[in-house]
Amino acid sequence: MMDRSPKPPETLMRAIAQDLRPVRPSPQPLHLALRMVPLALAVASLILFAIGPRHDSAILGPLLTWGASAAQFVVAIALVWIAAHESVPAGRLPREMVYLAVAAAPLVVVLVTLLTFSTSASNASLHVPPRINEILRVSPWTAGFACGIGSTLAGGILVLFFGLVFRNSLAIRPTVAGALYGAGAGLAINAGWRIACPFSTPWHALGAHGAAIVATLILGALIGRFLGNRRFHLGRRSSGT
Amino acid sequence: MVRYQGGSLEAFQEIYAQLEAGVRRYLSHLAGRSEIADDLLQETFLQMHRSRAAYNPAYEVRPWVFGLARNVFLMNRRAARRWATVHESRPDLPEFPVLPEAERLGSQDEIRKCMAHLSPDQVEAMLLHHEWGFSFEEVAGMLGITAAAARARASRGIADLRVALTTLQRARA
Repeated sequence: MMDRSPKPPETLMRAIAQDLRPVRPSPQPLHLALRMVPLALAVASLILFAIGPRHDSAILGPLLTWGASAAQFVVAIALVWIAAHESVPAGRLPREMVYLAVAAAPLVVVLVTLLTFSTSASNASLHVPPRINEILRVSPWTAGFACGIGSTLAGGILVLFFGLVFRNSLAIRPTVAGALYGAGAGLAINAGWRIACPFSTPWHALGAHGAAIVATLILGALIGRFLGNRRFHLGRRSSGT
Repeated sequence: MVRYQGGSLEAFQEIYAQLEAGVRRYLSHLAGRSEIADDLLQETFLQMHRSRAAYNPAYEVRPWVFGLARNVFLMNRRAARRWATVHESRPDLPEFPVLPEAERLGSQDEIRKCMAHLSPDQVEAMLLHHEWGFSFEEVAGMLGITAAAARARASRGIADLRVALTTLQRARA
């Protein structure tokens, strides 16, 4: 009997036959997000190892020092988990949930900042040479730039790593998925950075640390967009359409 | 799919044979023209091949591939800025499949005419559930909405279709 099942076109078969190496199936979104935890923790803790925890951690207490950072870290991993779901064609989460998470992230940062400032309006010195402390005292903008640029760089490392892990992502909205990864990376870094940074003023915490989160979000969105476009154009080129 | 991920060309051919017809019709519905659907179909299976590592066996293959087809259509529309041409140049009777649920309500021609006036969101949810047999949970995962919203869109679509058909039939009578 003749086989009447539809056959793939010749060009498609040729493209497929060219690369049939076995691949390992991708883990589920939750496993993927949890795999990011060790690296995110390591990068977020770098600053803590470098300059140690803030002087006023005794005033803030463990809940506002470590607890608030743990909460931020959990929100960061939740954002990565949502982004991983966005990357699965049949596994997208409801839009409301995505928007809720996006709204929750800045709220957590603002809330933690205000709570920290109301408990200890600290502007203490750092475990660094006295000359640097003097510069920071005279020109507080320097501390803002240092925190902003430092946490953007640390967040950038995480975003690049996420980009590597999720390069095969099939997000319908790659820019949104990338922005979620970026926001997750920025929030994870801020969770560690705020324990080390001795400045509690809202303008510093929101202006410098917040700007770094926004910068990693934008970086993530750009990388997501680039990867999405690249995947699509590569597909078009190889299919000849 | 797991055999295909292991490097089996026959497994790919089996997947293609099982899904080709459904995905082609879905793409025809999305694009509104079958000549574009043919290109998109090839593109979908090529993307599936390139991204086969991104598939997790915990997901059903069919909604995953349909979701991928939707993704390919949207990316294509974005890249080529074809939104206007795809939708504005739709012929009077776009290539909507006729829902089995609606067949007893009117002729195929009437149903197609009325479906063209429903919101695209409702039509997509209706077709994915009633025509291609996806569960509301699967439809929700593909469209990024809750299962309740998918159910509401589909049932509102059927209700609106019923009203539109009755109006059309009364006007003709």
